Amino acid sequence: MPNGSRLRVLEDINVAIKPSEVVALLGPSGCGKSTILRILAGLIRPSQGQVLYHGRDVPGLTPGIAIVFQSFALYPWMTVTQNVEAVLQAAGLPPDERRTLAEKAIRTVGLAGFEEAYPRELSGGMKQRLGIARALSINPEILFMDEPFSHVDALTAEGLRAEVIDLWEPHDSNPSSILMVSHDIKEVVYMADRIIVLSSNPGRVRTIVENTLPRPRDQRSRESEALVDYLHEIITGAEMPDVPAAAVARASRIEALPRTDTSDVIGLLEYLDAKGGMDDIFEVAAATGHEFGHIMVITKAAELLNFVDTPKQDIVLTADGRRFVRAEAQERKAIWRAQLLKLRLFQDVHAMLAQRPDHGAGGDLVREMVILALPRENYEEVFDTLVRWARFGNLFAYEDDADWLSLQES
Amino acid sequence: MQPHDGAWGEATALFERFRRGVWIDAVLLIGVIGLVFGLASLAGEWRTLRPAVHIDLALSALPTYTFYSLMRGLIAYAFSLLFTLTYGYWAAKDPVAERILVPLLDILQSIPVLGFMPGVVLALVSLFPTSNVGLELASVLMIFTGQAWNMTFSFYHSLRSIPKDQIEAATIYRFDWWQKLKWLELPFSTIGLVWNSMMSMAGGWFFLMITESFVLGDKDFRLPGIGSYMNVAVAKGDVRAMLWAIFAMIMMIVILDQLLWRPVVVWAQKFRVEEGSDEQTSSSWFYDWLRRSSIIDWLGSAIAALRRRFGNQDQPAHPPEEKPVGSGSSILSLVLFVILVIVLLFGSWRLMLLLGQLPVRGYLPIFGACGWTLGRVLLSTALGTLWTLPAGLAIGLSQRLSRIFQPIVQIAASFPAPMLFPLVIALLKAAGVSLGWGSVVLMLLGTQWYILFNVIAGASAIPSDLGEAARSYRLSRWLRFRFLYLPAVFPYLVTGWVTAAGGAWNASIVAEFVTFKGQVLTANGLGAQISLAAEHADFPRLGACVIVMAAVVVTFNRTVWKRLYGLAESRFSLSK
Repeated sequence: MPNGSRLRVLEDINVAIKPSEVVALLGPSGCGKSTILRILAGLIRPSQGQVLYHGRDVPGLTPGIAIVFQSFALYPWMTVTQNVEAVLQAAGLPPDERRTLAEKAIRTVGLAGFEEAYPRELSGGMKQRLGIARALSINPEILFMDEPFSHVDALTAEGLRAEVIDLWEPHDSNPSSILMVSHDIKEVVYMADRIIVLSSNPGRVRTIVENTLPRPRDQRSRESEALVDYLHEIITGAEMPDVPAAAVARASRIEALPRTDTSDVIGLLEYLDAKGGMDDIFEVAAATGHEFGHIMVITKAAELLNFVDTPKQDIVLTADGRRFVRAEAQERKAIWRAQLLKLRLFQDVHAMLAQRPDHGAGGDLVREMVILALPRENYEEVFDTLVRWARFGNLFAYEDDADWLSLQES
Repeated sequence: MQPHDGAWGEATALFERFRRGVWIDAVLLIGVIGLVFGLASLAGEWRTLRPAVHIDLALSALPTYTFYSLMRGLIAYAFSLLFTLTYGYWAAKDPVAERILVPLLDILQSIPVLGFMPGVVLALVSLFPTSNVGLELASVLMIFTGQAWNMTFSFYHSLRSIPKDQIEAATIYRFDWWQKLKWLELPFSTIGLVWNSMMSMAGGWFFLMITESFVLGDKDFRLPGIGSYMNVAVAKGDVRAMLWAIFAMIMMIVILDQLLWRPVVVWAQKFRVEEGSDEQTSSSWFYDWLRRSSIIDWLGSAIAALRRRFGNQDQPAHPPEEKPVGSGSSILSLVLFVILVIVLLFGSWRLMLLLGQLPVRGYLPIFGACGWTLGRVLLSTALGTLWTLPAGLAIGLSQRLSRIFQPIVQIAASFPAPMLFPLVIALLKAAGVSLGWGSVVLMLLGTQWYILFNVIAGASAIPSDLGEAARSYRLSRWLRFRFLYLPAVFPYLVTGWVTAAGGAWNASIVAEFVTFKGQVLTANGLGAQISLAAEHADFPRLGACVIVMAAVVVTFNRTVWKRLYGLAESRFSLSK
């Protein structure tokens, strides 16, 4: 942390992976789910805690695993075959065996015919097939997958999920188990036997949901959709408690500013207004094509400004929100400004600036205030958001070159 | 083609790591300079004279001389590459050593190496008093110092900017260090290394020309080569020989480009990391020809057969065991690190002894001279900007002009300016210009290309919709320049300035002190002071001059250029 203290990213995480199961880590962006995966793989050493493999404490890299990366992490200068063979060579296999195993892995993922192609010639889905082939080639006991389909287009991802499950299903062969990281609820309901729901700041295990739906699963079956809804509720309940945020703020706690642009908040309000004042948060995500986690952050921002209310999974426009959406540009700014001044952080900064002789202060002084008020947050991001919001409400002006914040007369 | 992108990346990389104490810089500066002088004086006196080299001006002798020069450049390049790979790798892999190695590299590339030339030449010649070996070594060493630093920076920077996922993949699949280097690190750095190699080679010719035609007072240290050929041709006023020498130099640059760099660039395309939709691939007839010829196929299969025959030595037959990472290698790097520190301390001590011999009064003229040279450096950079900015914009913004001028500019930039010095001096003398002003022209001759290069690169990187927008709002030519083109090329311009100013400091050593037809011309400046001190073998003064120049260059980099870089990045970067 810039202010010298150490940031606690994860707390009390206890994850067990049993033979023949698919475990998913589910949570909003920034909850540390990828970090957990890397700790289990032995890539990151945790400041506390240990990793056990078959009951044995393993220092260094955990044996028996292979990782499929979100960004594929393929070598663009090697052909499909070479990419796989490199891994096998590193595993110490003789050339003949390398050739056979690589060929088999490539055929397994359906890349036969592309052996001599370079990764840049492949589509996103095919690249990830290669990533999977590479991982499978070393016959891992546990296959780790870090958001494996988020860089793959939706239709292709659907097919790949089914294929991965087919590869895993025979219990007498590797990979015996799969550990996957995902932010996609439908994906984990389709794939996982056990879903570990994480909350953020610091990352903790919120709850563990056993998924006993019989395989092969149908994403559109009533049971699947019920489980999806249930997970939705857990996540929204955790991330958006049903206590109005403004009330929390009034109870003298200084609120963190969700990192959002004003135009996102306004867009959400416009959308809700067009929908007659309310909508389900997952519907909003689906309709706007945004990642669910992103919509949640925007919703939090709007809630902080008292423009929306969030009973369960719904987002409801408040009276203030409706007034804002229907107002003219100038009036909008006035309402925004008034809402900002109800927030402690803005009140404090406003009071501080008002006291200064020239009604202005260096950005560092304000950052200092942010650090003191919100020691857990990234102060640069909070400051950045503070400036954006204040600029829109004509509350403070900010000169980037001089790093100078000053009061703006309305 | 965009060799300049690499340069921009390098220069930014260089300025990224400025958050360190001034004292580190000072210690390193003193250490390096002292070391060179320490070695120079260790080598003892240089009274024994070698027989002077006879240069034959016959046209038939020219190919041989050109070949000698080419070989010196290539040998120096081989050393540069070796140095780059080891030094860059060490700096990137060893976090302890990194804290010394990177600033050290930065200092090394800020020091005007020509200041060391007299000392180095004298020392090496005295080691081999009866043969040319010492002189050849000195020549290679000087070329090396003109080539190595930016290549090393490029390699180090590439190693440090490998995506995290790639490193994790290599770790999780248990690549050993050699496999990591071979499959990940080297391929990832290849493109940057290739572009920087081309630039280094061009920069190396500058030093080649100077070392080949090095005359110190009445002592002749010339080597048979294209530089001394030109030198003698000018001395004898043989215009035909001069023109042939220039032609030979251009041919050498062109042939090297066609037979070496072009094929390498095309080959390096396969190491592109970004998903290339706009295929701006360059082509090379020689590369195509090589690929089509069966010789390469034959060679390839022969090598493969050899490897099969002798078993794949590069991989163990059994799976590598889990072993604690690098206990042996960390001891090695610690030992190297300690040696490095001792060597630097030794250098500092030698320099202190040396400087102690110069009275404090002796520094006054040095500082005065330094002011003059600083003025000349800035003036030459400003003059260079004046013509290269409009010219570079015109070339970079027009595809047609780019096609015509890029090759010409590349050859011009590779052409070593010192080769033309005698000609220009003759012209200046005829026009009655004093060397005080004339030396600015000489500096400009070598350094303006760096600015032009970078402006062209910047101009061609401007997204065309920005230009279209400006035209659609009917901005006048001047307004377009002020609002769009100047800010857009500013970051590139700064890179050009830094390189050009660095080159100008180096050039001042040969530009402010020239021997023309047996007559010595000097201008008041630090460069002249260095040459003068070297001529009189006045080592304390030479040391003082070099350390003052290096200190000024480093200070200037840290203050002015660094600030401009900051401005360029925060305000004028098109990528944000």
